[in-house]
Amino acid sequence: MKIHTSLLLVIMSSVMLAACSTSVERLDAEQQVDLSGAWNDTDSQLVAKEMIEDSLSRPWISKFVTSEGNDPAVIVGRIKNLSHEHINTNTFVANMERELINSGEVQFVASASSRQEIRDERADQDLNASEVTRKEAGQEYGADFMMQGQINTIVDVDGTTQVRFYQVNLELISLKDNRKVWIGEKKIKKLISNSKIRP
Amino acid sequence: MHKLLLAFVFLISGCAQHNNNRLADDLQFQSPESILSALQETKPDDRDIAQYYLNLGYLQLLSEQFPESISSLLLAKKQMQSLAATSVSENIGAGTINETLRSYSGYPMDRVMVHNMLALSYLFNQNIDAARVEILQADVAMKKLADKDSLSGQLVTTHLFSAIIYELLDERSNAFISYQLAEDILTKRKMPLPEGLKQGLLRMSQKMGNDQAYARYSEDYPNLAKQVGGNEQVFVLYFNGVVSNKIQTSLTVPSFNGQQLIRIAMPTYPQRIPYPLHAQVADGQRSVNSEVAEDINVIAREDLDEEYPSILLLTTTRAIAKYQVVQETKKKDQLLGTLLNLATLISEVADLRSWNMLPASIQFAYLETNSNDIVVTTPKTELTQISLNQGQQHVILVTNLSDKALHYQQ
Repeated sequence: MKIHTSLLLVIMSSVMLAACSTSVERLDAEQQVDLSGAWNDTDSQLVAKEMIEDSLSRPWISKFVTSEGNDPAVIVGRIKNLSHEHINTNTFVANMERELINSGEVQFVASASSRQEIRDERADQDLNASEVTRKEAGQEYGADFMMQGQINTIVDVDGTTQVRFYQVNLELISLKDNRKVWIGEKKIKKLISNSKIRP
Repeated sequence: MHKLLLAFVFLISGCAQHNNNRLADDLQFQSPESILSALQETKPDDRDIAQYYLNLGYLQLLSEQFPESISSLLLAKKQMQSLAATSVSENIGAGTINETLRSYSGYPMDRVMVHNMLALSYLFNQNIDAARVEILQADVAMKKLADKDSLSGQLVTTHLFSAIIYELLDERSNAFISYQLAEDILTKRKMPLPEGLKQGLLRMSQKMGNDQAYARYSEDYPNLAKQVGGNEQVFVLYFNGVVSNKIQTSLTVPSFNGQQLIRIAMPTYPQRIPYPLHAQVADGQRSVNSEVAEDINVIAREDLDEEYPSILLLTTTRAIAKYQVVQETKKKDQLLGTLLNLATLISEVADLRSWNMLPASIQFAYLETNSNDIVVTTPKTELTQISLNQGQQHVILVTNLSDKALHYQQ
C-alpha cells in the first residue's frame, strides 16, 4: 500500500513537472502555424543540406562545366547573422562546406583565414623544409564562385508564447564578373510555449 | 528545537540583501573596480543569483572587463528567463515566512535593461553584430511587457541604443524607426527630448529621403536643421550616479487580545534626491551637454508601485497566517509559542532586492565635428581628451563613478 502510494506520488510529480516544462515542436516551413525555439544544430544541418542540394541541382553548374571543362571551385564567404539570436555562423558555414565537399560536384577552396595560415606555413617551409618536400607559392587554386548569405528572424510574441520565423538566404556569386548564378532561400517556423508555473 | 528555530530565523532575516545594498551605496564614493572586487568576494544566495550577476555584469562593463561582463549578464538574463514562470514552492515560502524566499526574477526594467547593457558590452568588445542581436532581443522583451495602459518595461534607452547601433550599421530605416520610438516614449512620459535625439530624427529622415518627415522635424527644430555638421559622428552616453536602494518600512503592533505581537514590513523607495549633473562634450569650437534620456530612479519606483498591491495583499495575508500559527502553538506550549512569535517578528522582512547599482539616469549627447580630438568633462573628471583618429563614427560611454571613457570607433 505504501509502495503504491509512493509510486502514485512519483507519477503525479512527474506529470506535474512535465506539464511545467518548455515544449518546442518542429513544424513544416509551409505550415501556417508559426514557430519558436532557438536555432540549433539540427536547424543548421537541415538548412545547409537542403540549400546545398538545391544549389547543386540548378543549371549553373552544368553550364560552367560545359563552358570551362572542369568542376567549379567554390568558397563560402560571410554568412551574416541578422537574427534575434546569438547564432554561431561558423557551425553553419562548416555544415555547408561539408555538404559541398561531399557532393563531389564542386572543387572547394579554403576560407580566407585558413588560407592565411597555410600561407604562413608555406613561407615557413620556404625557409626550413627540404627542397624535395617544399611547396611553392603561387600555386593556389582560385575560386570561381563565392557563397554569401544571411540569417534573418521575425519574432511574434504573445505572453508566454512565441512564434519565430527564420529565413536563410544564400547566393552564389561569380568572382569573375559578380554575376549571381544562384539564389537560395530556406524558411523554418517554430512555435515555443513557456509554462506559466514552475515547481 | 528552540536553537534550530532561532538559527533558521537568522538565515532568513535578509542579511545578504543588506550587504548588497551597502555595496550599492558605497558605489557613490568608491570606484566600480573596488566595488566589483568586494562583490566578487561575496557568495550570493541561490535566490539572489540574478541580482548578483546583474550587478556584477554592470560593474565589469564599467571596469572595461567586457568578456566577463557579457558572461555575467548572459547568466543573469538566462536566470531571469527561467524564473519568469510563477513558482509554487517559492510562493508558499513567501506566503508564510517572507518575500525574500522568492527567487529574484527581475523587475520589468531589469528584463529589458539587461539587453541594453549586454549590447553595450558587446559593442565595446568590438562585436557590433552581437550587440545588434541584443537590441533585437530587447525589442522582443519590451513587446512581451507591453501594456496599453502602462509604460512598464518600455525603455527609451533601448530604442536609443538600437538607433545608434543601426546607424553604425547603416540600417537607416531601422535607425529612424528606433529614434521615433524613443521620441514616442519620451512624449508619453512628458519628458523633453534630448537635442541629440532631435538631431537623429532630422538626420535619419533626411538620409532616408523621407521629405515629409524631414520637413516636419525641420519645422519643429529649426535651429538644429540649420546646424552645419562635421565628418565625425560622436554619440556620447553618460551614466549619472547610482539608482536609489529600496528601504524597509515596518510596523509592529500588539494583537487585539494583547497575546502576541504582529509585524508587517514593506519595501519602499526613499524620497528622491534629484541629480542635476550632466557631462559636457567639446571640440574646441562648440560644446554640448548630455541630457536625460532615461530616469532610472523614476522607472524603479514605477516598477515597485505596480507590484505594491500584490505585496500588500501577501504581507497582510502572511500576518494573519503567522498569527494563527502562533495562537495554535501557544495553546500547546506557551514558551514555544512565544518563541515562535519572536521568530515571526524577526523573519518579517521586506524584499529590498533590485538591480541597485544601475545609474540614476542615462543621458545622451551628440556631436558632429571635424576635429581630431574632443574633450569630455563629467562631474567626477576634469577633462578627458579623446582622440577620434580611427574611423568616423564614435560611441563614448562615460560615468561620474570613474575616470574611464569607453570608446567604440569605426
